[in-house]
Amino acid sequence: MKNYKALMRNHLYLLFSLLFIGGCTNKTETPVHKVYTVEIRQMQFQPAELTVQKGDTVIWINRDIVQHDVTEEKSKAWTSSPLSAGQSWKLVASENADYYCSIHQVMKGKLLVQ
Amino acid sequence: MKCIKPLAKWAGAAILYTMVMPSSAFSQEKPDLSDPEIASVAVAANQIDINYAEIAKEKSKNADILEFAQTMANDHKAVIAQAVALVTKLGVTPKDNAVTQKLQGDAEKTKKMLRSKSGAAFNKAYIDNEVAYHKAVISAVEDLLIPESDNKELKELLQNVVPALKTHLMHAEMVQKKFSK
Repeated sequence: MKNYKALMRNHLYLLFSLLFIGGCTNKTETPVHKVYTVEIRQMQFQPAELTVQKGDTVIWINRDIVQHDVTEEKSKAWTSSPLSAGQSWKLVASENADYYCSIHQVMKGKLLVQ
Repeated sequence: MKCIKPLAKWAGAAILYTMVMPSSAFSQEKPDLSDPEIASVAVAANQIDINYAEIAKEKSKNADILEFAQTMANDHKAVIAQAVALVTKLGVTPKDNAVTQKLQGDAEKTKKMLRSKSGAAFNKAYIDNEVAYHKAVISAVEDLLIPESDNKELKELLQNVVPALKTHLMHAEMVQKKFSK
């Protein structure tokens, strides 16, 4: 009987330890990343300027009838390729970027990453 | 309300007369257009710019001109597709009219002028014409076609096209600066 109680006590210690460690681990490994949407409408990026946290996802969706793209302006570091009406493209934000539509070069937007 | 529409028509025509080139089809005095006629004008105006773009793709080797021309061809084809879808849905047949005929007549003269040029002279003539043409079309759509259209969906389509035309104009003016140095 004594052995049985000792065994149960050890099991409970182990269970609580695992729950405690698991709880701590979950808190550190699951940062909350948000998802933002930029609409391309009436030949504009809406909003034209967006502030996000590093690791957040930004989705651009083309609501116009003509094709657009979303291209990093300075060094063409990234581009969506042409998006037809209704198509979308997403990017995980890692650094600030000025971007534009390379098809309609006067359409510009800004991504600010904190 | 009945007084307002003729006044708006007159004001639109007056603005067009003063702002747009005197030879432009859009500067005719007080054209009274039905919705099928407006559809005809809209399709013709878009097709004309596609035709100019085709000439540019044949004649120019300049990357800015070629990119701009390709954008014009693609965008104006998309607008025509939207207009055709709408008139099909509404059961309307675009109706030929004096404004469409004048537009097409003027466009033939412009195409002849463009075809007579080559090299840098062509590039400049093409982009200068794009700036002037888009200014004229924007004025016509805002001051004549939108006020004249009776059907709500036709009016909305025309209103939705204006931002694209204005973006084309800004883009054309940006390219034009490169050829005016």
